[in-house]
Amino acid sequence: MKTRFYAVYLMLTLFLVSSCGSLRAPVFDQYSYQKGTELKVDAINLMDKATMSYDSQQAAIDNFDSELAKMLEYQKNRENNTISYAMWKMIANPDKNFIAGFLKRWKDKGTLSSFFINEAKGQVTEALDLILQYEGKKDPAAENKLKAILGL
Amino acid sequence: MDFKDLLKELKGNLLSLMGSKFDDLKEESKKDVQDFLKASKEKLERWTTLLAEGNITLDDYKWLIESQKDLVVLKGLYAAGVSKIKLGHLKNSILDTVIKTAIGFVKPKEDDNNTETA
Repeated sequence: MKTRFYAVYLMLTLFLVSSCGSLRAPVFDQYSYQKGTELKVDAINLMDKATMSYDSQQAAIDNFDSELAKMLEYQKNRENNTISYAMWKMIANPDKNFIAGFLKRWKDKGTLSSFFINEAKGQVTEALDLILQYEGKKDPAAENKLKAILGL
Repeated sequence: MDFKDLLKELKGNLLSLMGSKFDDLKEESKKDVQDFLKASKEKLERWTTLLAEGNITLDDYKWLIESQKDLVVLKGLYAAGVSKIKLGHLKNSILDTVIKTAIGFVKPKEDDNNTETA
């Protein structure tokens, strides 16, 4: 009788804790981390070319914009991903002064000075590093955790 | 450009985003804020020198300052996200304990088996 009481008590606790939405932790996603790293490298390479005319790099810029848009769409549809999505939205917003804002400025000015590019690269790198570091801090998938608990 | 005013504004924005007074923050968060402000100060000094030497334009300078302000917002989002992960860890620890306890109930103890065999 006592064992049954404890079993029911434990099941109720488990249900209450696991169903608490506000505590639902975001889960690490390998694709986000990998694609984010690729986008960071591509962004820096593209910024290095901003001493040349915007028009001469149109194809590379269009390709980067497309990859960034895909990443944003991917983040939008991930579960429990409000913070990462908000961070990626800032990166992809031309009115914020990260990579999208840099590309907008490049388009407006035609070319940019190497001094400005170097400083802007530092800012863009720092922003993308924050997103990657945040992804790296997320929990491994629930399946892995369950395996660890069960010693599998 | 007054560095002190700008740094004060950056610090104010950062702290309001973190949702806490600086004095109430844990040591780890305090160090994070201080490191960020120190880095901001170094950048502002470097950018001002570049502007004074004519290596960047005033528009470039303003763009960089705005990007630093945007970084403050991004840093705030990062801090909020990490707090959420920590809460998630607490939840997972509770779940781990509950599951382990439940498994303990389900698994027959070795003593019980020995008793039955005997």
